[in-house]
Amino acid sequence: MAAVAELGDDVARVGFDLPLRANLSALDNIALIPLYQRHYGAAEASQQAQALLTLLGHADIASLRDPDMTPSQRFVTQLARALILKRPRLVIDRPGATLYDVPYPRFIRQLADQANTIGTWEIFDFSWNQALYSE
Amino acid sequence: MNFLAASIESIGAKIVRGLAVGYGLLAFLTEALLALLDRNTWNRATFDVVVKQIYFTAVQILPVFLTYVLVISWLIITIILTTARDFGLSAFASEMTIRVLVLELLPFLTALYIALRSGSAINTEIALMRVNNELDALAHCKVPPMPFEFLPRLISGVISVVALASLACLLAVLLGYLAIYGLNASGFEYYTRTISKILDFKIVAGLFFKCALFGLAVTAIPITAGLETPKKLFMVPVSVLRGMMKVFFAIMVIEVVSLALKYI
Repeated sequence: MAAVAELGDDVARVGFDLPLRANLSALDNIALIPLYQRHYGAAEASQQAQALLTLLGHADIASLRDPDMTPSQRFVTQLARALILKRPRLVIDRPGATLYDVPYPRFIRQLADQANTIGTWEIFDFSWNQALYSE
Repeated sequence: MNFLAASIESIGAKIVRGLAVGYGLLAFLTEALLALLDRNTWNRATFDVVVKQIYFTAVQILPVFLTYVLVISWLIITIILTTARDFGLSAFASEMTIRVLVLELLPFLTALYIALRSGSAINTEIALMRVNNELDALAHCKVPPMPFEFLPRLISGVISVVALASLACLLAVLLGYLAIYGLNASGFEYYTRTISKILDFKIVAGLFFKCALFGLAVTAIPITAGLETPKKLFMVPVSVLRGMMKVFFAIMVIEVVSLALKYI
């Protein structure tokens, strides 16, 4: 699993070891990327972040901060932050560590259908969880 | 012999650690300066964070701070006036008030106040960010934390200390007049002449520079102390303790150097 953390720059990673900025809202956590990496204006960055949350079916969590989110809301925000990076590979690292309140293979599949992104989604999980994915 | 070797080793280790801390602080300030000069840093969002930080650091504390300044100033002015009268030196009371309160004590106490309130909070927040991997998450997203986490805190620290110290000094000058002359306007000319004689351009510029240095010390040192925290939750209180000791030491050094430059 240590290898996951050493994946290259073309990988956007979602994992429990890459948390959200605790004192920022879900929207601000996502908007940081267009704002400070691509130098968009604040309004445009927030608009992009909101659009992504809406696409993932969680428009209502925009104003929530990390401690006020449920595990699945936190995961969706982390996923949106990874998606807005627009990297060709998306790696979800040990989703069970974050998504302990929902049957997560189905939840992730549902999000992947909604997100409708170009590129690959890969899940790295413990071998003993393999049975969950065949359901 | 062993004791001597161990002592030399311990002193050497302390010097090396001190130099490393100094180098880290210098490197951080250089990075902050480069970010300050970068056109890309200055967008609406950074400006909003700066405003928010100034609100948290300076505006939110105004009522308590002003009360504290009123009480301290009133006490010191009363002590100075009583002592001056006892020694028959009443003519020097106003000059003494300005030199002690406005030039030295109030900027120093303002810096201590901001250090205790905001410096410790900054140190804790940055240490927690580091321990919780939030900085690693930002690095993974290739978002530099300088423009929206560190730089706004540095700017707000400098602005807040300068603004609060100026406000405290104005209040002390007003209180000084009221304590010496009461509501009588007869002493106004003499009092303002004394102020203008003491506060020439060089002294005022030095005072601003000192306050700006205080502002930098109470923000830059806690940030670097937070960034140096080992990734263990139980090390956060240790990081804050070390950071605040460094801040106190830096404030003392700035004050002592400023006094030495002025009076020696």
